[in-house]
Amino acid sequence: MAAAAAESVASQAQAVLRARLCDPSFVHSALRSSPDTNYSKLKYLVASSVSEACNNSVLLLGPRGCGKAAVVDMVLDDLKKEHPDAISLIRLNGMLHSDDNCAMKEIARQLCLEHQLSFSKMASSDDNTEFMIDMLRECGLAHKTILFVLEEFDLFAQGKQRLLYSLLDAMQSLTSQAVVIGVSCRLDADQLLEKRVRSRFSHRKLLFVPSSMDDIQRLVEHLLMLAKDSGLPAKYITDYNARLTVSFVQYDPSLYYACNIFRAVSDMNMESGFLSMENFVIALSSMQRQPKMDSLQDLSILELYILVCMYRLEDKEQSSYNFTSIMKEYRSIQEAYKTSDKYASTVCFRAFEHLLDRELISFADSKGRNQALEYRPVKLLISSRELAQSLKLNTTCPAVLQKLLDRERYM
Amino acid sequence: MQKYENGSANGRQTARTLTPSLPSVTVHFKSTFPPSSAFLPVAGERPRMDLSATPSRSKSKAKSSPAKPIAASAEVQMDLCTPSKATPKRKSKSVTSPPPTTPATPSTVRRSRRLLDTPTKANPEAPVKATPTPTSKGKRAAPSPKTPAQREPKRQRRQPKKRSYYRKVVYDGGEFEVGDDVYVKRREDAESDAEDPEAEECRVCFRSGGGVMVECDMCLGGFHLRCVRPPLRRVPEGDWSCQYCEAERAGKAMERPKPPEGKRIVRTAKEKLLASDLWAARIESLWREPDGTFWAKVRWYIIPEETAAGRQTHNLRRELYRTNDLGDIEMETILRHCFVMNPKEFRDANDAGDDVFYCEYEYDIHWHNFKRLADIDDEPETKEDPSDEPYNANTDYISDTDEDSEYDEEEEPTSCSLARRNQTHELAANSRKGRIYGLQKIGIRKIPEHVRCHQKTELEKAKATLLLATLPKSLPCRDKEMEEISTFVKDAICNDQCLGRCLYIHGVPGTGKTMSVLAVMRRLRSEFDSGTLRPYCFIEINGLKLASPENIYKVIYEQLSGHRVGWKKALHYLTEHFSGGTRIGKQANQPIVLLIDELDLLLTRNQSVLYNILDWPTKPNSNLVVIGIANTMDLPEKLLPRISSRMGIQRLCFGPYNFRQLQEIIISRLKGINAFEEQAIEFASRKVAAMSGDARRALEICRRAAEFADYRTKQSGQASLTCNRGDGVVCMGDIEAAIQEVFQAPHIQVMKNCPKFGKVILVAMVHELYKSGLGEVMFDKLASTVFSWCHVNRELLPGYDTLLKICCKLGESKIILCEEGSKHKLQKLQLNYPSDDVTFALKESPDLPWLSKYL
Repeated sequence: MAAAAAESVASQAQAVLRARLCDPSFVHSALRSSPDTNYSKLKYLVASSVSEACNNSVLLLGPRGCGKAAVVDMVLDDLKKEHPDAISLIRLNGMLHSDDNCAMKEIARQLCLEHQLSFSKMASSDDNTEFMIDMLRECGLAHKTILFVLEEFDLFAQGKQRLLYSLLDAMQSLTSQAVVIGVSCRLDADQLLEKRVRSRFSHRKLLFVPSSMDDIQRLVEHLLMLAKDSGLPAKYITDYNARLTVSFVQYDPSLYYACNIFRAVSDMNMESGFLSMENFVIALSSMQRQPKMDSLQDLSILELYILVCMYRLEDKEQSSYNFTSIMKEYRSIQEAYKTSDKYASTVCFRAFEHLLDRELISFADSKGRNQALEYRPVKLLISSRELAQSLKLNTTCPAVLQKLLDRERYM
Repeated sequence: MQKYENGSANGRQTARTLTPSLPSVTVHFKSTFPPSSAFLPVAGERPRMDLSATPSRSKSKAKSSPAKPIAASAEVQMDLCTPSKATPKRKSKSVTSPPPTTPATPSTVRRSRRLLDTPTKANPEAPVKATPTPTSKGKRAAPSPKTPAQREPKRQRRQPKKRSYYRKVVYDGGEFEVGDDVYVKRREDAESDAEDPEAEECRVCFRSGGGVMVECDMCLGGFHLRCVRPPLRRVPEGDWSCQYCEAERAGKAMERPKPPEGKRIVRTAKEKLLASDLWAARIESLWREPDGTFWAKVRWYIIPEETAAGRQTHNLRRELYRTNDLGDIEMETILRHCFVMNPKEFRDANDAGDDVFYCEYEYDIHWHNFKRLADIDDEPETKEDPSDEPYNANTDYISDTDEDSEYDEEEEPTSCSLARRNQTHELAANSRKGRIYGLQKIGIRKIPEHVRCHQKTELEKAKATLLLATLPKSLPCRDKEMEEISTFVKDAICNDQCLGRCLYIHGVPGTGKTMSVLAVMRRLRSEFDSGTLRPYCFIEINGLKLASPENIYKVIYEQLSGHRVGWKKALHYLTEHFSGGTRIGKQANQPIVLLIDELDLLLTRNQSVLYNILDWPTKPNSNLVVIGIANTMDLPEKLLPRISSRMGIQRLCFGPYNFRQLQEIIISRLKGINAFEEQAIEFASRKVAAMSGDARRALEICRRAAEFADYRTKQSGQASLTCNRGDGVVCMGDIEAAIQEVFQAPHIQVMKNCPKFGKVILVAMVHELYKSGLGEVMFDKLASTVFSWCHVNRELLPGYDTLLKICCKLGESKIILCEEGSKHKLQKLQLNYPSDDVTFALKESPDLPWLSKYL
């Protein structure tokens, strides 16, 4: 009875934690508090452009997963609350709208949607450009700011950059009121701009760096510590938090990646009801799989033979080889060692194709597509270290295979 | 603070003399309401409205013909009585938002028959004199009197002879002109409408006259200076409110003085208006019906209480909104003048009398939303002191153009709302036709408070003037170039047989090329307006804004003729036009000035577009002048010889600004604003001049620095609430930070914050590159190095695939350049930044102390 009760409390806690982890606003709310973060800088920048009716353009740079988009979303949410009908938001993504004409059309479509105007798909891109400029003017007159969020900004900076030029050039007029926020993971995104576009760009850059260990730990604490008022028994909460701090003390940094935490929470031991170190370790090992090793594990013996042959060929400084030369090597091994694993050439070819499919080997070049597969030069895509390791781990592997590999190395 | 002389009947009305311009009624234009298509803003339109093109004079003859069938006049009356489309909307609005003061059906009352008790002053019909005068050059308000017959809407074409339009009418002892603001009677039965007191009474002694009165800013009541407790000697500066309002605000009860027995308080027209017993309107056109009555088309003003949003807290007492609602009224109902001013005029009009109102916004009665009037913010603040500015010419033409644009703005809604009546189906807003109807909808429901009652600090002012969009008061440092452009264009315009005129302007971005040309063109237009220059046509095209180079023909043709055709057809027409065949457009013989910005974008494979455009000027009688702007100095040399021989003759170079010029530009913008340290400006301009000489860059750096300073003061203001003086100034540190942000690449900081194995990979790459001396390294090799290092230093061995993933991540942010990840161990890697940067960034890394020995 008591065990069941404990379990229900634990599952309740697990639900709370999962809900937290899946709620981006909760995850990022830690960013809000401190004054000198990118969040407050960006918010100041955009808010002042809204209230002072000026045009701005800003680039957010940083590697992936540093919270660029999260900060943008938070700032936009805040501003929408502060100025409910004075903001209209246009979102573009470089992956989707890298073509200037289609980006223009998308801008027109979103503007129409935002202002309940009817939109025509047929309008030419000139029309759409004019429409955008007119809208910028009208919205400026009505004290409305248009925010353009360009994600994957570097992809817009290709070709003639007509979109960026017309966007930034339209912002040079007094009546318009717009902010362009570019988000990019390329650190040199502003160098990609053409010189006349760059001259019109207002060179505000916010750099997002990968969060330091302390930040991550703070974030994990923020996510996993249960608050007093979460509706769970008080004793459980204090126990739980105490346990958690113990495991924090002996932490290993790589254990706390965001998805890793979710995995760990899901693995939470229901009987004890606490998160322990093992949860994190197991979750980590399941997250950081080595796909190459895994696929090496379940290869057939023949396939391993082929790989070893290829390795031997490469080791003999034979720069270019194809299936026929592999087969020659294979035959010579079979002659020398007289193993039982002697297969016909067609069977070997099937195994060879399988390896190609698994991308453990690949063709050396993309030339000669219409050549027969047997004669196209191939390359090994795995290193000798991996091969040796997988042979060691594979229990069914014949000893001679390992010897072949080893002898090459040590003799 | 409004102050006005009381007692003298002229105290109010003569304070602002009526616009003295035209002597009397000018019989003027027929086509008051052309369909909207005629109003599409075409750049070439204005010059084509030349002085000679006034066919309206011939129309005035038609007016004099006495043939006016009675049936037709009845039709006119009927026509006027049919309610405009706006009427039901207005009614429904008065249902939804019930302002208690609004009469039930104002629109019917508004168009009422003549009131019995109005003509207290003079008999209405007598003093009308209508002497036609030829239209003069100031008549921009005349919307293109070119082809009235085609452009008139049907309704007016049916009786074109009945009405005669005037520009100015003397009626009832008052002169009314198109564009004037007037009071309009609203209710027939309002008892107090009978009297229109010339002078307001004091709220204390209830006598009018006898000395200066001061107006309370809260209740708008008038007080004699001597009646106020304590008595005032002069009219106080700034806001002033009477003791009653003060008391009310403080929460005390204080009885306002009651008028003596038997005497009613006589309300002035202003009070009646604000209590919605009167209307205010702006006259859009004036005409005389065949039966001799005078009518006016007016644009109504609305008081804040009558809008859907109601009176907002930031509304001034004397604020009105202009609506897009037009109505026809009889001149009878017009009471007298009032003066609705834009914020700037209002600020300056301190003792302009009682009938001064403030208008900043336009109110859309269909959508119930607000929009700024366009002419207000466009207006550069140059009019204040043109005398002490070194560039008088500039300031003049700037203000001139703005008046023009003001006119455009005003006319556009008129045509729109008219067109909308006929428009039953809705057009897509982003298509060409639908735009003007659709965009009416844009507006804000409620005017946000922060834009109205926000006192700007010095830093915020500085930020505003440093905006690139702000038109500078003057354009320093480009006099010589502007002079050259101006003589070039003028030569071309004045000379009838101009051949092969082509100017190529080059210079790096941000050196004021386009701005100078546009400034010259504005100056020339003001010269044209003052009559010293021949009419010409100016077309401006930006190469980067064309969807394809060939589209330039389309655009030119459209600007010349107003029609749209495909580019091949347009090319055909244009070639014919310039080679002396059939001409396009109305003013075919005017010289055309064609400005092509970003000329290099017009390059096609066989360069035919550029060739065609540059070939036209060489044709006899083409009257075409081409000004090309581009960045590269040697563009003509890169082109085919037949093009460069046509283009490369006359060139003008805009060199990069040096630091003195940049400093001058910044200082001239920041004149009168004390927000920057002297050395800070110098530092910024020296830095930029050393790098690029781009004025935009310099202005942006200063603005960014001002933003930093502002951010700092705001943050510290939040923290401590004490804002000391030194905080509000941009100092060297801010400029330094801004320059850092602009010029410094962020990679070092990112490298410092890389994950652990990212750092190891970077160092291993430097190591490998150094060892091999090659530019790139194979992943296989790199991985073995990393593994051996980790092995030696007892670091946890990463998986092969993990390393690959980290490599790809570094490649994504372009710290290293790498091939796609599917090549696995064959992937080639390359550092994107100098290896010294890596060494510098990773010299000391606390989590990997052993790393530095490999560097």
